[in-house]
Amino acid sequence: MNETLTLARKELLDLRHDRIVWIVLGTLGVAVVLSVIVASLDYRAQLADYEAYVAQVTASGSGVTPAAPQLFPLTLLRGGMEYVEVLAALFALMIGYGAIAKERSRGTVDLLLTRARSGTSIVMGKLAGLAVLWAAIMAAIVVIALASVAMIGGATIGLHEVARVALAGVAGWVYVLFWSAVAVAVTTLTRNSTGALLTLLVAWLVVVLVIPQIGDTMDPDNQVPGGLFKALAIAKTDEHAVLDHFTAYESARNGLEVSSISKLYERFTFATLGIKDTYNGQSLAFIWDGTFRYVYGALAFTAAALTLAAASGRRIHTLRRS
Amino acid sequence: MSTILTAARHELLASVRAKAPYALVAAFLGMVAASTFIGWRTSVTVTSIYDQVLADGLTTQPNPFTDVSPLYYVRNTVIYVLLIGSLMAATLGVQSALRDRKAETAALIGTRPVDGRALRAGRLLGLGLLLAALVGITQIITWISVSALVGGPLSASETLAIAGFGVITWLLLIGFAGIGVLSGRLLRRERTALLAPVVAWAVIAFVIPQLGTAARPVSLLNPVPLPAQDSGAFSWLSQVLSPLAITEHFKTASAALLESSSTGSPLASALIVALFACLALAAAVLIRADRTTGGTHE
Repeated sequence: MNETLTLARKELLDLRHDRIVWIVLGTLGVAVVLSVIVASLDYRAQLADYEAYVAQVTASGSGVTPAAPQLFPLTLLRGGMEYVEVLAALFALMIGYGAIAKERSRGTVDLLLTRARSGTSIVMGKLAGLAVLWAAIMAAIVVIALASVAMIGGATIGLHEVARVALAGVAGWVYVLFWSAVAVAVTTLTRNSTGALLTLLVAWLVVVLVIPQIGDTMDPDNQVPGGLFKALAIAKTDEHAVLDHFTAYESARNGLEVSSISKLYERFTFATLGIKDTYNGQSLAFIWDGTFRYVYGALAFTAAALTLAAASGRRIHTLRRS
Repeated sequence: MSTILTAARHELLASVRAKAPYALVAAFLGMVAASTFIGWRTSVTVTSIYDQVLADGLTTQPNPFTDVSPLYYVRNTVIYVLLIGSLMAATLGVQSALRDRKAETAALIGTRPVDGRALRAGRLLGLGLLLAALVGITQIITWISVSALVGGPLSASETLAIAGFGVITWLLLIGFAGIGVLSGRLLRRERTALLAPVVAWAVIAFVIPQLGTAARPVSLLNPVPLPAQDSGAFSWLSQVLSPLAITEHFKTASAALLESSSTGSPLASALIVALFACLALAAAVLIRADRTTGGTHE
C-alpha cells in the first residue's frame, strides 16, 4: 500500500511538470465558459423574439399571449457537459497513455521495480496519481461551471445548485477514471506505443462519438429538422402512445446507446442538472429513481477497467526496452 | 519531379506496411458500409410510424419521406466521413510525418542534396493517393449497398452525385491529413502530435458551429443540418466564423449532392472545403520544422 502511495506521489510530481495538464484544464474550462455564454445569448435571443411577438399580438388586439421562455440556470451547462463527455475522455486517454509510455520511452521500468514489489503496484500507483489529478481538475471544472452560471447567466447559486453541479463533477470523475484505466491497461498490454495510442483513439471514437451518434441518428424524431412529431403536429402524449407500437426498435436503439459509458454519464448528468425536461425541478430522490441503473452501469464499466488495468500490471515487462 | 514521385511511391509503400492505423481504416470502411443500412432501417421505421399516426387519425400532414431519393440512405455517411474519416486522415498524416523521426533517419535524409519541399510534396502526394483509394472504396461500397437496398442499379445522375460526394470527401480528408503532417513535424511528442489535430478537429466540428448556431456540440453530429441563429450576436458571429466552419460546409455541400435538405449555398461551401484543403497542404509543404527532426519521446 505504501509503495503504491509513493508511486502515486511520484506520478503527481511528474504530472505537475507536464504542460498537457494545464492544456487540459484550460481547454475544458474555456469550453464550459464558452458554452454558458452561447446558451445565455441564445436564451436572451429567445426572450427578445418572445417580447417582439407579444408586442405584435398586443398591437393586433388579440388577448392570447403565449407562455414566456423559461430559464433553468443549470441547463446553461448542457454544452459544457457535452464537451466534458467528449474532450475529457480524450484527455484522460492521452494522460493515461503518457503515464505508461514515458516509462517505456525512458527505459525506467526496471528502476521502478526496485521500489515496488510488482507491476500491479506500479500500475495502481500511477492510476492513484491520475485519480487525484482528475479529482483536482473536476473540482476546478465544478467551480468554473458554477461561477460562469452565476456571472454570465446571472443566476443565483444556492446549496441546491452547488450539490447538483458537484454531483455531476463526481460523475465526470468516475467517467474519466474509466478512460484513464483503459489507457493504462491498453498501453501496458501493447508492445508498440504507437499501436496502443491508435487503439485508444479508435476506442474513444467508437464509444464516445460513433455509438451515441448511431443511437441519435436512429431516433425517429431526429429525422426531420425541428423533429418528426412536431412536423406531423403530434402532441407529446400521443407521441408516446405511437412509439409504444415500436418497442422492439426503441429497445434496440436504447440498448445500443447504454452500451456506451459516455451515454450513461450523459443521461445521469443531464438528469441531475435538470437538462432533461422530465427531471427539471425534481428532487434528488426522484432523479435517483430514474437514473440509478445508469450509475450502476458506469460504476461497473469503471470497476472492470480498473480490474483490467491492475491485471495488466503482471505484463509490465512488455515496457522494458528490448 | 523525380524526388516528388519517389517520395510519393515510398509514402504509399510505407503507409500500407504500417499496420498501426489499420484499426482506424477498418472502422472508417466498416461504418461507411453500415451507414447505408442504418439510414434505410431508420427510414423504414419512420414510414411505419407515419402509417401508425395516420391510422390513429393523429395527423393530416403528408409523409415527409414520400419520394425520397435513394441517396437519402447515404446521408449518415457524411457524418462518418467527418467523424472517423477526418481523424483517420489526420492520424495518417501524423504517422507519415513521424516515420522518419521514429526511425531516426530524418537527420540522415537532411544530409542528402534533396529539396525538402519536394520531399514533403511527394509524401503528401502519396498520402493523397492513398486517401483517394480509400475514398474510392467507400464510394463503391455505397453504390453497391444503395443499389441492393433499392433493388436495382442507381441511375447515371445518382452515380455522378456519389462520385461528386467522393471528391468533396477527398478534399476534406486531404486537408486534415495536411494538418496531421504539420502537427507531426512541429510537435516533439507522438502523443501531443496526435492530440493537436484531434483538438483542432473538435474546434472546427463543434466549437465554431456552436458559436454561430447556438447548437449543442453533439447535435452537430446529426446529419439533419441546423439553421444558423439569425438573431442578436449569433447573426454577426455566424457570418464572421462561417469560413472556419469547414465541417458544416462539408455537410452543406454533401447534402446538396445527395439531395438531402441543406442550408446555405452548396457551391460556396464546396469552394471553402477546397480552400481549406489547399491551405492545409500549402502549410504542410512550406512550413519548416528544423527543431523537431529527432526521435519522439514521451
